[in-house]
Amino acid sequence: MTEAELVNKIRKLRQIKPSSDWVALTKSQILGEEPKVLFFPFFKPAKAGLISVLILFGLFAFSQNSLPGDFLYPIKKITEKSQAVFVPEAEKPKVQLELTNKRLEELAEIAETNQVRKLPAAVEEYQTNVSEAAKSLEKIKEPEKAKEVVVEIKKLEENKQKVEKVLATKIDSEKEGDSVQGLYKTPAEVLIEDLEKRTLSEEDQKILEEAKELYQAGKYSEALEKIWILSQNK
Amino acid sequence: MTNRWRKEFGKIYDQYIDKIYRFIFLKVNSQEIAEDLTSETFLKGWEAYKNQKSKIKNQKEIENLQAFLYQIARNLVIDYYRKKGKTQIISADQVKIIDPKTNLEEKAAVNSEVENIKTALANLKEEYQNVIIWHYLDDLSISEIAKMLNKSEETARVMLHRALKILKNKLNQDV
Repeated sequence: MTEAELVNKIRKLRQIKPSSDWVALTKSQILGEEPKVLFFPFFKPAKAGLISVLILFGLFAFSQNSLPGDFLYPIKKITEKSQAVFVPEAEKPKVQLELTNKRLEELAEIAETNQVRKLPAAVEEYQTNVSEAAKSLEKIKEPEKAKEVVVEIKKLEENKQKVEKVLATKIDSEKEGDSVQGLYKTPAEVLIEDLEKRTLSEEDQKILEEAKELYQAGKYSEALEKIWILSQNK
Repeated sequence: MTNRWRKEFGKIYDQYIDKIYRFIFLKVNSQEIAEDLTSETFLKGWEAYKNQKSKIKNQKEIENLQAFLYQIARNLVIDYYRKKGKTQIISADQVKIIDPKTNLEEKAAVNSEVENIKTALANLKEEYQNVIIWHYLDDLSISEIAKMLNKSEETARVMLHRALKILKNKLNQDV
């Protein structure tokens, strides 16, 4: 056997190779390399934006079921506020009342599930919303809009009573302007003014006068009760 | 930073994995043990590489990574035999050889030839095995081998010549 033949024989040992599967697996085990697409998409700048947007959407969607005192609750509030920006000025009082109704629903859920720790935050949220609703109602000038919001206020009143029944306590603020009763003030005022401009029968005129007296006495919801049917017929 | 080192060592891994595996396999003659010792070699190599890069744990500068990996592999094989008290028994059925040929007769002939050379190589002194593997299988130059052995090029050349002669004799004896 010549040296060249021997070297050729030795070189046949190059056929000895590890399996490619083992090579790949061992590499990932040693270097701790995870499949890039699945686990490390954040390192790819092009995907980072998309992932962030998806996470953001997920957070917004997830936060919609959160309650006051929850980690995601501020995100829910931000979402609501950003939605409110696009609402026309004339619709804002109604939207504000709907939000206040939402706060009541949250309060009801907290009360029913006995999540005592979240209660103070939820009551505060509700009161803040009532106050904001009262402010937005001040801008109402048209009787039609006033009538619309009265329907919402009535719903709010009913829900509030239900929650108070479960909690066995009053949840309205002591201040008139921050209570549901206070919400009736502007609609009552607008509807009274509207009726004053109209020609009324003697009997209707009498009802209107009684409503005005109730209004002067600060009994806004009762004043509204008086003139509600009159307003509906006009 | 670790990501960059990981990438760099990944390239080193790809470059040497076959060589180190074969180097170990020819000494332990078992796929399973060769896989274990090879992965341990690269794990130790990776640890040392990281330590060197981060300049911690008094890690000495790795001057020749190839030599460093072979040295780890050699030490692991020595440890393996020391711990297990095993002798190098060559068994044909433990060999895993990737062979593109499909003709059974041809395949058997090649396998038998490979087996003979493997058995003969395994019966050489460790340093003779090493120089043959490094020079004829892994294409290391005499100068590189000399550095790995920490000997002169002349000594390395003589050693290779002797190793080849002894291997030839062994193969002739078998025939």
